[in-house]
Amino acid sequence: MKPKSLLLAALAAVLATAAAAKDIELLNVSYDPTRELYVDYNAVFAKYWQAKTGDKVTVKQSHGGSGKQARAVIDGLAADVITLALAADVDALYDNAKLIPQDWQKRLSNNSAPYTSTIVFLVRKGNPQKIKDWDDLVKPGVSVITPNPKTSGGARWNYLAAWEFAKRKLGSEAKAQEFVARLFKNVPVLDSGARGSTTTFVQREVGDVLLAWENEAFLAVKEFGADKFEIVVPSLSILAEPTVSLVDKNVKKKGTEAVAKAYLDYLYSDEGQEIAARNYYRPRNETVAAKYAAQFPKVELFTIDAAFGGWTKAQKTHFADGGIFDQITTK
Amino acid sequence: MRNLPSAVRTALATATLFAGFSTLHAAEASSDDIAALRDQIRQLDQKLKVLERKQEIAADDAAAAAKTAPKITVNDKGFSIASTDGANQLKLRGLVQADARAFLHNDPAITNNNTFLLRRARVIFEGTFNKNISFLLVPEFAGSAPTVVDAYVNYALTPSLQLRAGRFREPVGLEQLQSDAVAFFNERSYVSQLVPNRDLGVQLWGELLDGTLTYALGVFNGVPDGNNNGAISGTTVNADSDKDKDLAARIFAQPWKNDGGSPLQGLGFGLGASTGREKSGSGLASYKTDGQQTVFSYATATAATATTLAPATSKTNFTTVANGKTWRVSPQFYYYRGSFGLLGEYAFSSVHVSPQFPASLAGSPTVALKNKAWQLATSYVLTGEDAGYTGVVPATNFDWAGGSWGAFELVARYDVLDLDNKAFVTPGAGYSPLANNANNPTKLTTVGVGLNWYLSKSVRASFDFFHTDFGLNVPASAILSTSSTGRIIKNDENAFVTRLQVAF
Repeated sequence: MKPKSLLLAALAAVLATAAAAKDIELLNVSYDPTRELYVDYNAVFAKYWQAKTGDKVTVKQSHGGSGKQARAVIDGLAADVITLALAADVDALYDNAKLIPQDWQKRLSNNSAPYTSTIVFLVRKGNPQKIKDWDDLVKPGVSVITPNPKTSGGARWNYLAAWEFAKRKLGSEAKAQEFVARLFKNVPVLDSGARGSTTTFVQREVGDVLLAWENEAFLAVKEFGADKFEIVVPSLSILAEPTVSLVDKNVKKKGTEAVAKAYLDYLYSDEGQEIAARNYYRPRNETVAAKYAAQFPKVELFTIDAAFGGWTKAQKTHFADGGIFDQITTK
Repeated sequence: MRNLPSAVRTALATATLFAGFSTLHAAEASSDDIAALRDQIRQLDQKLKVLERKQEIAADDAAAAAKTAPKITVNDKGFSIASTDGANQLKLRGLVQADARAFLHNDPAITNNNTFLLRRARVIFEGTFNKNISFLLVPEFAGSAPTVVDAYVNYALTPSLQLRAGRFREPVGLEQLQSDAVAFFNERSYVSQLVPNRDLGVQLWGELLDGTLTYALGVFNGVPDGNNNGAISGTTVNADSDKDKDLAARIFAQPWKNDGGSPLQGLGFGLGASTGREKSGSGLASYKTDGQQTVFSYATATAATATTLAPATSKTNFTTVANGKTWRVSPQFYYYRGSFGLLGEYAFSSVHVSPQFPASLAGSPTVALKNKAWQLATSYVLTGEDAGYTGVVPATNFDWAGGSWGAFELVARYDVLDLDNKAFVTPGAGYSPLANNANNPTKLTTVGVGLNWYLSKSVRASFDFFHTDFGLNVPASAILSTSSTGRIIKNDENAFVTRLQVAF
């Protein structure tokens, strides 16, 4: 063999060694209250994927306020998938960094929202402030805990649910704005995410009522005891649709597109839907939903599309810099 | 009430209780009063808890902000800015070497070799992007014009597979690859004059087997012995005098590197080699003593006649240039244990050369010159610190007032350059020799001793003495005292090379 051939062979051997398969690692950047859901789901998905392909996949989780998490990914956090609280935060990845295609929401069923939730009230045992519905939250002396809508997806759902309730009850957008302004005057602490607000209410014992994701409220009762807290279901609430997406640019760069896509697809499987339901998320799958129907209280739900014309419009009107939320909180 | 000062808590609680008891006392504690009091306490308790929670959130936010803030570091390794995760980093470092040279028993006709000089003055820019892409840019300001010494980009697919492209040292010589600032002596040995120095090219390299085996394999423009590729400054940017490329490779093993208890932990050995075809447009490199005096130069055509000579008469007035296959091989080792260090290497260089007429090499005879060099160098750190290939880190810094002196290291070296006598023989009928033996030696043998004083990790003062014996191809009486090299080699050279260096 000539020296040049020897060198080429050596080069090929080195390249082949370096290209040997490795364990796959994904990063799921999610919002605050999904920690428990994805701990369960990741373990099941890893087993499924190994059985299907032989590859070992480890999914790392990152949690925080949904808006904050979106910002982190835009700023370079190498998420393979995002599972955020609302579509507007996922949209931001296209708007600000073109990390995903504009029509990302059409890629998966149910507008890329594999499970839903809603907003309920968590109160202290015995409900000492007699809180029954949204209009009890604006009474003087009632201390309301909710995260900051500028950073938290859950808080935006809270805000819009209160707005729509007031608009229907009081009859105008102006009165709804006044109502929401009064509500936020009763908020003593604004955490950046839903889990922080739960900590404020449950562990730090601040406030009379926590505006919470339904799953977060159930979890608090389960973890801290039904003798300490109870859930109040308002007369009207919002259909919250947490959405999921590949982060296309990142998965292409990391070579994880196939496994990341499978990770999201599997959320819609019977097993994925079961895990969501067990973690108090409302499943999309009708069979699974029927199985867990008793678990979820009946409540009249409205959609953001019907009440606010979709997330893009709601975001711009209420939560963008200088929007209504800024106006009512700076007064 | 974790976060409120205890004095504030006590004052609030006392005020609350005092107000409560006063009310009770004055109004005989009606049930309404008690309810109001309870509500008042509840509200105060809530206010306290809200304050505490806000403090907690502020502390969490501050901690989170600190985690994402860039990390700025200024220390004796230079100045660096790094992203929180360390994936992106920019570093600014520097190297300044101020030398003084003195030669004993100088020929009186040599008037300019006892001198102060700025040997190196470099600003070193380093950076890393996305963890695995790095760069190095090193401009040199010590020459007559600014030049770029190193400029490359490195992409690390893994530690074991990295790709480097740009201008950097070819992977052949052991001491040549060592940092300028940390070698035992102020000047490298003769071995470094027979292996390629910096060149433009691309190299695949990495560390295997837990860092115990390092390999490098590169393709370069190609340079003659001891040469750099054309300095990147002015009009000589990215010079390549021929279309052929050199292949260079090196493998270096440290089998016991990770075995802390082994007496062989500090042993490393390897082999560097390069091969290619050279056709240098200008003359070959000169060879210098360890004291940096040029003592061997191949024939160079005089300018006045070079452009007008006809081939027949050019046989006595030509420039010796590289012209054909070149290859070098260099076995090498080092051994460090505690304060003791030992480094040895050998280089064999075969280079085809020809006498070049002004415009072409047509019809020129070609001669294969085989030059050899070797060195054995040792060191001992008197103050007890560890010796090492990457230098000595003093346990204390020099501090006159504090009574600490830094570290001291004794060094010694024996090195030899053995040049092929065929350079002194006519390459063809009618030709002058490729080098004149009346003013060039055929062998240089040098003994060097020195003392390195590490005033701190970044400041070193070095005092070296080199004694060089010149082996001649003619009787000493035949050496031309009229030539610059002849004046040097007719006696042994005794050189002091001292240096004050700042490297960070």
